[in-house]
Amino acid sequence: MRTFPLTALLASTLAGAPFQSVVEPVLRQKCLMCHNDKTASGNLNLAGLMTPASLAAQRDTWEKIVAKIRTGEMPPKGVPKPPAEVVSALVEHVEAEFEKADKAMPANPGRVTARRLNRVEYSNTVRDLLGVHFRANEEFPPDDSGYGFDNISDVLTVSPTLMQRYVIAAEKIAARAIGADPLPKPGLFDRRSRVQRKGAGVMELNDIIEFPADYVIRAKFIGHRGVDGKPVLTRISIDGKPVKEVEVPTAFTLVNRQGGATQRTQEEVRVFLNDGPHRFRVEFVNDEAGKSIPPGPGPGRNNIVPDSFEIAGPFPPAEELAERKQVVICDPAAGAACVEKIMAPLVKKAYRRSISKSEVLPFVKVSENARAAGYNPGQALQFSIAALLVSPHFLFRIEKDPAAGQVKRISDIELANRLSYFLWSSMPDGELMALAEKEKLHEKAVLTAQLARMLNDGKSSALAENFAGQWLETRSLDAAKPDPVKFPAWNADLKEAMKTETQMFFEEVMRKNLPISDFLDGKYSFLNEQLAKHYGIEGITGGEFRRVELDSPQRSGVLTHASVLTVSSYPSRTSPVLRGKYLLENILGAAPPAPPADVPALDEAAIGKKGTLRQQFEQHRADPSCASCHARMDVLGFALENYDATGKWRTKDGEFPVDPAGTFPNGKSFATPAEMKMLLKADMPEFTRCLTEKLMTYALGRGVERFDRRVVQQIARQTEADGYRMQTLIGGIVNSMPFQARRGEALRQATKETKAK
Amino acid sequence: MIVTRKALPRRTFLKGLGAAIAVPALDSMMPAFAAPSSGAKPVRTAWFYVPNGIDMRHWTPVDDGKMASALPRILAPLEELKGEFNVLSNLTANWGRPLLVGAGDHGRAAAAYMTGVEVYRTAGADLKLGVSADQVAANAIGTQTKLPSLELGLEEARMAGNCDNGYSCAYAYNLAWKTETQPLPPISDPRAVFERLFGTDIAESPELYAKRLGMRKSILDMVSSDTAKLQSSVGVSDRRKLDEYLTSVREIERQVEMAEKEGMRIDPGMAKPFGVPPEFDGYYKLMTDMMLIAFQTDLTRVATIMIGREGSTRSYREIGIPDGHHPLTHHQNNEEMLEKVAQINCYHTKLFADFLRKAKSIQDGEGTLLDNSLICYGSGLSDGNVHTHDQLPTLLAGRGGGTVATGRHITFQRETPVANLFASMVERQGVRPEHVGDSTGRLAGLSLS
Repeated sequence: MRTFPLTALLASTLAGAPFQSVVEPVLRQKCLMCHNDKTASGNLNLAGLMTPASLAAQRDTWEKIVAKIRTGEMPPKGVPKPPAEVVSALVEHVEAEFEKADKAMPANPGRVTARRLNRVEYSNTVRDLLGVHFRANEEFPPDDSGYGFDNISDVLTVSPTLMQRYVIAAEKIAARAIGADPLPKPGLFDRRSRVQRKGAGVMELNDIIEFPADYVIRAKFIGHRGVDGKPVLTRISIDGKPVKEVEVPTAFTLVNRQGGATQRTQEEVRVFLNDGPHRFRVEFVNDEAGKSIPPGPGPGRNNIVPDSFEIAGPFPPAEELAERKQVVICDPAAGAACVEKIMAPLVKKAYRRSISKSEVLPFVKVSENARAAGYNPGQALQFSIAALLVSPHFLFRIEKDPAAGQVKRISDIELANRLSYFLWSSMPDGELMALAEKEKLHEKAVLTAQLARMLNDGKSSALAENFAGQWLETRSLDAAKPDPVKFPAWNADLKEAMKTETQMFFEEVMRKNLPISDFLDGKYSFLNEQLAKHYGIEGITGGEFRRVELDSPQRSGVLTHASVLTVSSYPSRTSPVLRGKYLLENILGAAPPAPPADVPALDEAAIGKKGTLRQQFEQHRADPSCASCHARMDVLGFALENYDATGKWRTKDGEFPVDPAGTFPNGKSFATPAEMKMLLKADMPEFTRCLTEKLMTYALGRGVERFDRRVVQQIARQTEADGYRMQTLIGGIVNSMPFQARRGEALRQATKETKAK
Repeated sequence: MIVTRKALPRRTFLKGLGAAIAVPALDSMMPAFAAPSSGAKPVRTAWFYVPNGIDMRHWTPVDDGKMASALPRILAPLEELKGEFNVLSNLTANWGRPLLVGAGDHGRAAAAYMTGVEVYRTAGADLKLGVSADQVAANAIGTQTKLPSLELGLEEARMAGNCDNGYSCAYAYNLAWKTETQPLPPISDPRAVFERLFGTDIAESPELYAKRLGMRKSILDMVSSDTAKLQSSVGVSDRRKLDEYLTSVREIERQVEMAEKEGMRIDPGMAKPFGVPPEFDGYYKLMTDMMLIAFQTDLTRVATIMIGREGSTRSYREIGIPDGHHPLTHHQNNEEMLEKVAQINCYHTKLFADFLRKAKSIQDGEGTLLDNSLICYGSGLSDGNVHTHDQLPTLLAGRGGGTVATGRHITFQRETPVANLFASMVERQGVRPEHVGDSTGRLAGLSLS
């Protein structure tokens, strides 16, 4: 084959030009010297990729090649780059061929295996089914994840340990829902020895409550502030929620005037508590007077402190729980007919589909067995409910399989389930099920209206918590343990504040239907006093979060959220590599391949100590086998060096000034993190495709496959055309064929089994 | 809980409400149920997995054979116990190596160590590994005890995403694999371990408990037959999922039947724990105490514990080390970092020594619990800095019911699969697999004769 100089190729002659003229010459002149039979640098040998047919035959390899060329990572430094129009002609040609091939592929919605409810879904479903708040995260072993998410059907298994926990949980939840077990006699428990005193005027107690019932929580105080002591506002809270505020007297009492040195006083509150661990807290609010009293004994140091807790209970709940009334609609003592009446709607709700009478009867039988064993009617009903909660119809989401190889629209009821587990991580509600039963849900207008309603509902916070929490990895904050010496500001409250910021930001974009480019550069956020201080933003007081408009170039979008910056750091320092990798994986959808086996790890330990950090990286990058990945990764990571390992802004790392500037392999350069984000924003289609793939993985509970590419592309383009609106993206997924259809499984194995029978 | 509530003695309620982290007085503890009737005690096996390798310069004893000289720094905490174990040098976990695949050594190390097979690289849903050594034993002898095996871990929170160069976190977090595709996640919540071992209803009277077991059985029965019906109407993959579910249901049914036969239940001699102890040593002690109780009361004979997940970045502030463990092990021979790694290694062996001492203090038949156990302590990496998967740090404590002669440092031929050790361990429990992963035989010379 004759080769001709690349410069001779002019853009005008390139449109629609064949492979032999726009692709092959570039490969021959710019690539083949390293990627050939002999050297196959980076395990890539182009010898077999010189024909148009290879585009289809070796699609995966070609995708990688074109990505590297597009971003300018290839050809590497040292090889003169082909002119920009030559590069774009090549990329356009190859991508157009891909698209042609994708369009020619038969429509394939893929298959989703029966999905077990994961821990979050289990908790939410139990909440919506019975009104019981059950914390599966604390009761069940962790769910494994695939493709970065913990709702992937093929990975969710049922181990014997989990099964045992299911059985135990089912009994617990049923008992809480019905409350038929007699309570033990109430007792009074002095918790003095377990109280934690947390600074002036604050005490806490962590305790386990064994029975869901009413309890009296009594806070005891000791001491006084002399004759003039003014009452101090005191707040009692349980699990972070204030349950009572009361003025506690701090002056001498009469009794004390007569000789006693200390006074005791107490406040109490009666509350309903679910079984499980609880945190009780008592604190003086805005106690200015207390602050002026120096600690320790001596004149002028009279003070009052919260001293201990007492808990009395369990008492029968003061009023019957509303949820219970909804479930127990007749007196189960009346016999099997009533039990059936109670169980029928529950079974239907729990199975999330229509049911036959014969599906209810076994549960009635369980109750009868329990009655025969001597349990009271309420307890017997509890066993029926417990049985319901371990049923495979409850624990799994199972869809009807079309005939082998056939593609079929899923039923409206299945659609309702997919939709509600996608947006709410829970079961469909009454309205959704009613529409599905009438087979109206799949109608475009109805579906659109439901989508809007569901996103507006508070339950859609689940999408922020579970999707965004895993996409942006902010869930990993629970495992983050920044070095308390280097980062003294770090504590559990700050961690929660970080999580809340990202959560609320995502919800804002989702509910207000803002452009997804806001994730990269939205000039607003949600802060409370603590987090604002962390960011060096003045004028925000109090613990509540509020929307704050940002005008400093230091913060905008999620990449400058402390949550994201912390999870992409080591405990004691930042890591440009971790952050670069984070951006490639989560924002650009270009996860770096594993480094080759013979490459030594980068010595990251010297960072900040010798001040030669960048040099060290440059050195690493000088090796062409490293350069191809690190050229992009390190530039991204270094751009965020202005943020320390907990996301605080800094201009110096140790003694050395931070230099965030960088140049991408495609020649575009920036001087600050804000400018780097503008470059990311300039390539919105890339980010849109990445987010679409992530959201689709989460929505479908399976990995995005090659046959999904066309759909991904389509949704991404739709979103682009509509100003990158978030709800357009979500709607695009919901309306897509993979979300609404299902392919019957090839029966190769099944036939074998049938034959064996 | 349903029936428990009835006629519950006030005392137990008191105890429950205030359940603190109590540590059992093991020495004085008498399990409430009788030991197996025959005189000989069963052999128990356990694996203690430490992540990120060990500094071998301070691990390998100077003497071959009897360890006469003082033990090197990392083993020093075990000095007074050195008659109770062997140090085994030169064992290899070949499938941890990059071989043709490349980086991801942490992603592979733990998985390859316990299974001796190739770790299929995926961060997606198509996990594929092999049956781990402990499960080879559990699958064979697990039905003789209430729990086939016990999986523990000391790292609570999980990270999202792939853990190392395209290897699913499932490989780095799970030591035990029941089948090629089903990992058994370690339990890290002490309360969950407690409930798994002793049940949630230990306060119940025997009659009430028996009734409850009856009800559980009837519920599980119903669920089984329901699932069988369901299976006939779903696709192949769905059926596989339901199979897995059904297998677990059957396992719980078996446990219920076993509990019914026993009649009496075990008094664990400790209060139900509450939360994770804030200090690492307290956490370690609590979890390993429960392992000992489970062995002592013959609730199970097989256990694994991940001291940290492979690639763990835990920082050990308890001993003044704020840096993450994994980054530290990439020390590039920096003295300060090497020192910190050595301190972490020592901290781990010190805690392990406390565990061994306790195991040794528990009477078990004619000897001690330690005598009747085989406890492997080690890592799937030796040098964490450059990721070597041979010359692994390996220690085997206990005499396996008199089948292992202890107190020696045994150096094997280079490249001897560590799976040979595991095969030798499970063999002493009466399990005779053809091989465990890539094992090529049994380790010669464990028994002196």
